[in-house]
Amino acid sequence: MQIQRPRPGRLPGYTWAVLLAAAMAAAAPGRAAEPEILIGASIPLSGALASFGVYEQWGYNTAVNDINRAGGIIVDGKRHPVRLIILDDKTDPSVTQSNTETLIAREKVVAMLGSCTPALVNAGALVAERRRIPLVTPCAPIRAFKSVRPWKYAWDIFFEESDLGSAPFRMLADLGVQTNRKVVILHDNGPDGQVVGGQIWPEVARQNRYQVVLNAPFPVDNTQFTSVIGAGKSSGADIVLVDASTPPAISIRKQLAAAGYRPKVLVVEKGAEPQQFAQALGALADGVLVGGYWDPSFPYAGSADLARRFERETHQTSSQHIADTLAAAQVLLDAIGAAGSTDPEKINAAIARTDKTYVVGPVRFDALHAAALPIVVTQWQKGRAVVVWPRNRANGSLLFPLP
Amino acid sequence: MAADASAQRVAALAAGLLIVFLALALLSGWFSDYALELGGRVLLLMTLAEAWNLLAGYGGLVSLGTASFVGVGAYVLVGVMNRGAGLPLACLAAGLAAAALALLVSRAVFRLRGLYFTVGTLALSEALRLFMINFQPLGGATGLFLSPDVPGLRGLFLLALGLFAAATILMELATRSRFSILLRAVRDDEDAAAQIGVRPFRIKLLAFVFASVLMGLGGALQGLKLGAVEPYGMFGLQWTVNVLAIVIIGGQGLRLAALLGSVFVVTLGELLASYPALHLAITGLILIIVIRFAPQGLAGLTIRLARRLRRSTRA
Amino acid sequence: MDLQTVTDSLVSGVLLGGILALTALGLSIALGVMRLVNLAHGEILVGGAYLGLYLLRWTGLDPVLGLLLIGVLMAVLVYPLHGLLLAPLSGQGLEAPMMTMFGVSIILQNAFLLFFSADTRSIDRPYAATPVHIGSITVPQIYLIGFVISVIVIVLVHLLIARTRFGRELRASAADPGAAAANGVDVRRVHALTFALGAACAAMGGTLIGIAFSFSPTSGASYLLTGFAIVVLGGLGNIFATLVAGVALGLLQSLGGVVFGDGYRELAGLVLFLVVLAIRPQGLLSGRGS
Repeated sequence: MQIQRPRPGRLPGYTWAVLLAAAMAAAAPGRAAEPEILIGASIPLSGALASFGVYEQWGYNTAVNDINRAGGIIVDGKRHPVRLIILDDKTDPSVTQSNTETLIAREKVVAMLGSCTPALVNAGALVAERRRIPLVTPCAPIRAFKSVRPWKYAWDIFFEESDLGSAPFRMLADLGVQTNRKVVILHDNGPDGQVVGGQIWPEVARQNRYQVVLNAPFPVDNTQFTSVIGAGKSSGADIVLVDASTPPAISIRKQLAAAGYRPKVLVVEKGAEPQQFAQALGALADGVLVGGYWDPSFPYAGSADLARRFERETHQTSSQHIADTLAAAQVLLDAIGAAGSTDPEKINAAIARTDKTYVVGPVRFDALHAAALPIVVTQWQKGRAVVVWPRNRANGSLLFPLP
Repeated sequence: MAADASAQRVAALAAGLLIVFLALALLSGWFSDYALELGGRVLLLMTLAEAWNLLAGYGGLVSLGTASFVGVGAYVLVGVMNRGAGLPLACLAAGLAAAALALLVSRAVFRLRGLYFTVGTLALSEALRLFMINFQPLGGATGLFLSPDVPGLRGLFLLALGLFAAATILMELATRSRFSILLRAVRDDEDAAAQIGVRPFRIKLLAFVFASVLMGLGGALQGLKLGAVEPYGMFGLQWTVNVLAIVIIGGQGLRLAALLGSVFVVTLGELLASYPALHLAITGLILIIVIRFAPQGLAGLTIRLARRLRRSTRA
Repeated sequence: MDLQTVTDSLVSGVLLGGILALTALGLSIALGVMRLVNLAHGEILVGGAYLGLYLLRWTGLDPVLGLLLIGVLMAVLVYPLHGLLLAPLSGQGLEAPMMTMFGVSIILQNAFLLFFSADTRSIDRPYAATPVHIGSITVPQIYLIGFVISVIVIVLVHLLIARTRFGRELRASAADPGAAAANGVDVRRVHALTFALGAACAAMGGTLIGIAFSFSPTSGASYLLTGFAIVVLGGLGNIFATLVAGVALGLLQSLGGVVFGDGYRELAGLVLFLVVLAIRPQGLLSGRGS
């Protein structure tokens, strides 16, 4: 490796390069005034959360394409098409932050759509908040969202962790399921795993006179669960509650079976929801319960075909997230239309007034900028997700015990 | 007399650089928001690249542990500022924390040579990340959120500029001093150097601590910018990998490496941010091509080009 | 936690360690013979898992039965890469090939994402979800199968290196490439074959992991680190030491999981690795080559 011999006394060559770069930067022109309404999104299209990125990309793009096909949005008396600029944040919060800055500073977007999972969503929302650009996000559990700061410009449409946490217990009570009332809890130590598994489940279990015999956290990317599964098995608990993302969820299900541990009730939050879980496990997925906020069987306009449309257009397996992301984008677009202006402050005020039913259900934001989606419990049966609770939403009956 | 003259030259150099940076700082008042944001990012990466280049290029210590120091700096800054301290104190704390980590692990990692050193730093980095994910008192996987307000774009840019300026001036001084000769002697043959009276451990430690402090301060700046730190973003391998890519593409061991590499990588990222597949593919391909056909990186190519131009104008 | 669970955990750890040793074997050979830090190791491993998945899907052949085929396929796929990318860099120190393989790993991750989507996969086999009882100990069937297979493959590789002409050439190239070349050994071809062999081992280990757990385009990175830990623990290029180191790591991870909770498994393993590295960098079991 050759080392350059420094020339004494003269400024190193690269300082001129630095100055040149600076001059170019200063001269960098901003974008000329566009007739289009520009909105931006930074989502994980590569990296560990790339599968969420697929759903978000489709949901956002579909909303924008649909509204453009209908003629665009009327702003200041004239119809304008909407242009959505999507950047990949590679599942890295630093990139979400810089993407959001770029979208606001260079592309001059008037509003943003959020990324997915708290770390990424927060990174983007904090920038939007500072720059006073409204940001509507799906895919961010509400309690985690609210715990960051009192938001002024960020809006969240997702479920509330306590709703998700209490759902299995409410279902068990409601459907009159008989168990030995012993519970094993396995949760990752990500933000919502901590809340649901570490706080809500033990609390709700206690309130409903269930006994938590084991509560074991694990890191988000863990693959090995032998000791805790072994401990759970020897406790003989009938109920196993798991909160993990899809890769460990698949591993846990396999290892439960491989350890000969057959709980009567198996709930796998978060990771068991997407179709890929059932595809990867085949028959082993049958009977797994998962809380969700959307199913194609819901009575909202567009619900029935949404999943089919997604699968047709992307040739990938579906997930409830397509509904939430579509709704989030639609909420934003409707707010721009309601404001009749591209002034971020007016759009922000219009988002606050949202009160409409979308494909994911009724959306109305509370004082802390969150719109909670009610939870239903679905169960995998022969590769299909069947809604088993609450009764007024159910389109199938509960398979009990776990096959 | 010779010593005076060289000290004078070094002082003049430092003054010259200082003026350049002050000029940039003043000019930044006219930069667009985008230029400030992009410039800040490039400056931060350049600082990290300079630090890594010192370790690996000059010192032969190919470290895969960049992420540890970046992460430590970020967490310490957020933690300290959340307790009410101001920015200067928080930066000081971040730098000291990074230095402390470097000192702590130095005894162990410096027993390792070459390949083992590389793998050892990688293992350390990952171990620290796993620890931070599990360790609830520091936020666990959720991390920490910054309570005080974050400076505006111009403020962040000036901070990045200041950090880079300090790093550059110190690096210039270091590479023109006896220290760099000693460092290269240790890199080329540690045992031989020891035999002629050089103290390899001390030299390596000095370089290691210096580089770590720079990385820690870079991390602190990043933590400030984000307003939120968590283990995957701040202790993740992407820090190590990005800096590595920058220095390789820039040209390991050459002073221009940090600038050219950072500008190239950031520009590529900006141009292809909408096309993740292409971005990944091109980054991988460029790395392979640069290593194969231009092992001195972009800096090497630039120097050769400059020499050829100079020769042709002279002829 | 009762004794039964602890014993089950520890035995599982040992068996899993054997599988990990197989995946690390490729890394060890490449490192020992070619001084190559193969940063694409994780991706080759995941590639093997995808091969197993699609082999099952398209031909119905059980990946365990077809394991050797998967290894050969992977070897054939990577063999030309050596001539194309690595051979021209010989003599340039260890960063250049390392960074080249890093570039390859980025491209592979991207390729997986493009062709197979980001979905998490798992190879669905009945023995992945069934326990086997050895006396009073219960372990997943796939762990036992995987362990046995890994040991067999490791023994086969050892025999290959100890008893065949290729093995002699390999050992000669590792000990002193100059002298080997002077004695008529085509060092370049030996390196290429070694590289391919390493990839085959990684792919086979990857398939086993794909059956026992899950995988996705980005899941290779964590196996890279585990691989390094095992390689350094066992000493470069020492085949049986790699097996012992793998088992030791698996055991230690289980111990860490039992004592501190599953959250600390990997951390426990890494800490051991670091301790060993600090005390005896050439590996726990004599630093001599195979």
